[in-house]
Amino acid sequence: MVSSLIGCNMYDVVVIGAGPAGANAAIDAHDHGLRVLLIDEGRDAGGQVWRPKSGSILKASVTSIERKGNQLREHLQKSEVKRKFETRVWHIEKSDNGGWIVGLSGPDDEKQVTSRTVIIATGAQERIIPVNGWTLPGVLGLAGSTALMKENLLPPHGRSIVAGTGPLVFYVASEIQRLGGNVTAISTLNSKLDWCKALPSMILKPRLLFQGLCWVLSLYLKRIPIFWRTGIITIEGENAVEGVTITKVDKDWAPKKDHQRYIPCESVCYGQGLLPEISASRLTGADHYYDEKLGGWVPTIDDLGRTSEKGIYACGDNAGILGVTVAPISGKRAAQAVIEDLKGENPGAGQSNLKMMQKFGRAMTVLNIPRSGLIKFIDDETEICRCEGITKRDIDHEIAHGAQSHNAVKSGTRCGMGPCGGRFCMDTVAMLTAHHTSKTREEIGLPTARPPLRPVILDTLSGDLDYDDLPIPGVSPL
Amino acid sequence: MNKGAVSQVQRSEKISFQFDGIDMDAYEGETIAAALFRAEVSHLRDAPNSKNPRGLFCVMGVCQECVVSVDGKIVEACRTNVSDGLIVNRVQYV
Amino acid sequence: MNVIFDIAVIGGGIMGCGAALRLSEGGMNTVVLEQGDIGQGASGVNAGTLSMQIKRVKLMPYAIKGHEMWEKMGDQVGFHRTGGYTLAFNDKEADLLHERMSMKKEAGANIEFVSPDKIISSEPHLSKKIVAASYCPDDGYANSSLTGQYYRNRLRELDVSYIEKFGVTDILEHEEGWKICSGARTVVAKRILLAAGGWCKKLAAMIGADLPIRARINTVTVTERAPQLLSSILGHATGLLTMKQKENGTILIGGGWQGKGTPEQGRGQIDIKNLIPNLQLAKFVIPALANIRVIRSWTGFEANVPDFYPLAGKLANRDNAFILGCVRGGYTIGPYISKLMGDFILGRETEMPLFDPSRDIIEGRLI
Ligand SMILES: Cc1cc2nc3c(=O)[nH]c(=O)nc-3n(C[C@H](O)[C@H](O)[C@H](O)COP(=O)(O)OP(=O)(O)OC[C@H]3O[C@@H](n4cnc5c(N)ncnc54)[C@H](O)[C@@H]3O)c2cc1C
Ligand code: FES
Repeated sequence: MVSSLIGCNMYDVVVIGAGPAGANAAIDAHDHGLRVLLIDEGRDAGGQVWRPKSGSILKASVTSIERKGNQLREHLQKSEVKRKFETRVWHIEKSDNGGWIVGLSGPDDEKQVTSRTVIIATGAQERIIPVNGWTLPGVLGLAGSTALMKENLLPPHGRSIVAGTGPLVFYVASEIQRLGGNVTAISTLNSKLDWCKALPSMILKPRLLFQGLCWVLSLYLKRIPIFWRTGIITIEGENAVEGVTITKVDKDWAPKKDHQRYIPCESVCYGQGLLPEISASRLTGADHYYDEKLGGWVPTIDDLGRTSEKGIYACGDNAGILGVTVAPISGKRAAQAVIEDLKGENPGAGQSNLKMMQKFGRAMTVLNIPRSGLIKFIDDETEICRCEGITKRDIDHEIAHGAQSHNAVKSGTRCGMGPCGGRFCMDTVAMLTAHHTSKTREEIGLPTARPPLRPVILDTLSGDLDYDDLPIPGVSPL
Repeated sequence: MNKGAVSQVQRSEKISFQFDGIDMDAYEGETIAAALFRAEVSHLRDAPNSKNPRGLFCVMGVCQECVVSVDGKIVEACRTNVSDGLIVNRVQYV
Repeated sequence: MNVIFDIAVIGGGIMGCGAALRLSEGGMNTVVLEQGDIGQGASGVNAGTLSMQIKRVKLMPYAIKGHEMWEKMGDQVGFHRTGGYTLAFNDKEADLLHERMSMKKEAGANIEFVSPDKIISSEPHLSKKIVAASYCPDDGYANSSLTGQYYRNRLRELDVSYIEKFGVTDILEHEEGWKICSGARTVVAKRILLAAGGWCKKLAAMIGADLPIRARINTVTVTERAPQLLSSILGHATGLLTMKQKENGTILIGGGWQGKGTPEQGRGQIDIKNLIPNLQLAKFVIPALANIRVIRSWTGFEANVPDFYPLAGKLANRDNAFILGCVRGGYTIGPYISKLMGDFILGRETEMPLFDPSRDIIEGRLI
């Protein structure tokens, strides 16, 4: 009976994530005659960056970003790659025959598939440094706000403050304006000098540079104040956002407390770049290493995306935050690796201008690298772990009493044991531990990766069964 | 206030659902989160430990802040579509 | 470090830390060497069940003592005495339950048989298909995640040395006793105590002892906060299910379903073909679990030898090497048996007998 749960489908490659990296990988692998299954939790392909509009929007103007997403979706449609959407991968496990079992939770009955290889293209998640008040309704992640806007064409409520690092700040602010919202101010930790330093790499992609300049220009024209080298130190409000206090920072991004300013607002879009979403690749047992220039922990991969686990490949932002210019190419390269490994062919994917694009991507990521002063933004009472309500004071206390690793802080405090699986506290906990113990990120490590990758309703895992059919293997050792 | 690009948007049929006993409008095909957001309901739940109010945060199914209760199940409002007559409640913790 | 320790305890789980505390109180200059962090092995990932009903008959007196010690540790380890039921759902299981629980009762456990109706009145969310059940009012649980924090704090209070991230790679004879190496780092001690749980076999081999140690790899699952569904801890006549709802509303599901991997390969992984029936059984017992979200499943290594009794005594008949491990129900019994082990090494009379590792170990039946 358990066997009835195990799908008899054996794929050549399962691609997890249908963003630009995963979708391109799937198309190429399919074009070379491999049996491919592309899986995404979203409604359709596109990932975060080319996220499709919600089904409720029948007609609206199409932006250039969206056009790219539409092209990808059309391309997929034509290629007839087998797809499963609104389906979550909750587990990846080596099967006894050398392939991989992928556990699914989705609208159809197929709970598991097996595959000879898996391409992991799970993208990124946001890095958001906790500050007092960041849990208030009305505070959205910076990338989160783009999701809301791309999918629903809804700008944040009332007066918005857009704050954080990197180019996303300017994109979000200009999108809010475009969709009829109202940005009162922009606060960015970056200085104009940071941007000047990034300029030589940006010139490599003149169109994107131009696009970025247009965002900034549109904000200048609307006289929206941009506070350079500032950060949010508190978000105020009783049951919802009522305002923020921003403060000037020094070159390490430590707040200068005597340079503060209160700005009333009803919404805050706030974030400090992206973290590679590595929980899936970690589950496979593949090796990972820490590189802040790639956004943090990433799987160790070769040129084409092969991880240290045979049959597991990684591409796109989860293999290093290099953005949308690199993602499709890295997807194609991962497909190339799979084709080489399974068929012994060399399809010779274009190397083209990968190096140049990587350089551009890296320049953008560098703008987001948290600097040492940032932790001074977090006061003792701030909840670091939103799920479990664990404050900075709790974590500092645990470290002061001898916890030296991520696992130790987690088990002592419950920080990271909630439903989000530690995804929004992990990086901060590691930052704090590094700060207090002067250990490296590698030494502090990451909490052990455990399934499910997202919370799953028990019934969707277990299905219905008769008691007498339960495979109770006799009497257990007591 | 400028109307921006939204003024040219054409949305699907209106449907209605309930949130914590209150009737709400939604467009067919959008998520619970989007419908509540439009209705300016930003407070979706109280956190279990601190009892602090929580709302939409990551909007991509990761943070679990937006969870609501539908048919006795906890679901992410940002990833679950509304349907006509759907009963949605705030999650209560013991 | 130029100190010569009186004893190096290898392994910072309950067994190792418990023994180290006793040894240090007894005047020995003690160091605990741990490959990872204190209390993150089996001791920190187990299901935390403190149940008399799942203890082996012969180990009952130790379990009763261990239980008392957990109760004393109280809030620091999240101790709760809830009472516990063991359930049977068909006649075969009912017979098994009667046989086993009667023996355990005789061994001193406070166990009674209860009617299915009575259970349902106190646990209304349980399946109505219960055929027979036993109850022990002493049963309860503690929070195994707090093991590391608890023992680390005790070690620090008593000034017992411990070195984390010290994975022992070699144990060499030395004029003072033993030289224990972790790569290039070394510690010298007059005596050693191996208390490395699932990793003991490899360490014993380092000093030439070949012990028939095997490792089971048990799976535990936790749900998110759920409405009140359960107030006592639950077991199953076959031993294949344990369940408890913690104070915060999360429900822990265990039962010894096997995962994959070996202690040498790291932390081990769940095995989907065993996890699913584990969850099915849980849902069968509490149907309302169907709607609750699972948030994490994990595994831990639990060592045993073929007779399923502990190894607690001299290692390879040497006077300066000891082993403590393979204790079935070791979370419950650990604090107590490690104290006995400390006494033994200190040359004191032990309150209860230990389990000589050089006995003839023959494949045994488990009761
Ligand atoms: C999943 C699971 C569920 C369980 N549930 C229960 C339960 O509900 N109730 C109950 O009573 N019992 C339960 N048990 C049993 C109980 O947890 C164990 O018997 C007990 O914790 C064993 O303690 P230990 O100190 O021997 O082992 P561990 O806690 O595993 O400690 C051994 C330590 O040695 C370290 N080590 C290993 N090799 C080296 C090396 N080379 N150098 C340095 N250090 C090393 C390890 O890192 C580890 O910290 C369960 C066990 C598991 C795995
Ligand atoms: S807002 Fe984060 S999961 Fe929905």
